[in-house]
Amino acid sequence: MSETTPDTNARRVAQEARDRVRFEEEALALADQVYRVARHLVGNREEAEDLVQETYARAFRSWRQFTPGTNLRAWLLRILTNLNIDRGRRRQRQPDVQPLEEGDYFLYNRLEEASPDGTIDEEHVVERLSQDDVVTALSVVPHDFRDVIVLVDIGDFSYADAAQILDIPIGTVMSRLHRGRRILKREMAESATSH
Amino acid sequence: MIDPCEKCEEMMQPFVDGALTEEERREAEAHLAGCSYCAKRYRFEEELRHFVRTAAAEEMDPRLKEKLAALRTPLE
Repeated sequence: MSETTPDTNARRVAQEARDRVRFEEEALALADQVYRVARHLVGNREEAEDLVQETYARAFRSWRQFTPGTNLRAWLLRILTNLNIDRGRRRQRQPDVQPLEEGDYFLYNRLEEASPDGTIDEEHVVERLSQDDVVTALSVVPHDFRDVIVLVDIGDFSYADAAQILDIPIGTVMSRLHRGRRILKREMAESATSH
Repeated sequence: MIDPCEKCEEMMQPFVDGALTEEERREAEAHLAGCSYCAKRYRFEEELRHFVRTAAAEEMDPRLKEKLAALRTPLE
């Protein structure tokens, strides 16, 4: 059995410090991507900034729990979504309110109907939507649906990563994504055809 | 019998996600080849996804990045 000499102990401490610095640098390099997701999980910019700061404070404290070689971005988002739920920023679900949902062609059909002469230049349909239409529509999609849209369609996480981050089965990710996108498109149609 | 365009509408999300079986994908493609109504809506879906991603991307305030860096454990 090897003795722990002051020398080996010093080497261990130095190695740990190097690992920690590398972890912190890798985590900071992902901050833009973490913020982008956080921004649409909560209601406004200030809340998103607070949430990202709390996430990094916790991540830096518990960096030893991260397994090197696994997905650090997903690990950070898992912390962030848990903090978001813990801090009660997430409004309670309203069980009686069923979000209105239309078919997948609904948005295109509405944009077509709303165009001045009833026809639509199909190359430029998407240009009828503004950035505000997207941001406003996202903010009214109920949380359960919005979380998966934000992770998969904006954060570019796989279904499997989103399932792990939200701690729900992958089938639930897929069904919420499917319904959530329809709700989002319905809301965008409302927003785009009302101005 | 189910309307083929309705069926195609149902398949749009898994089609764009690449989540259809080989057989379903071939069936959707066969319909799309002969149906400009559905084909336009599929093209729009792809553009829409790209648009949502870029429209929702909001840059982080550089001051937040500094605050995050300040949370690092100080070197001894």
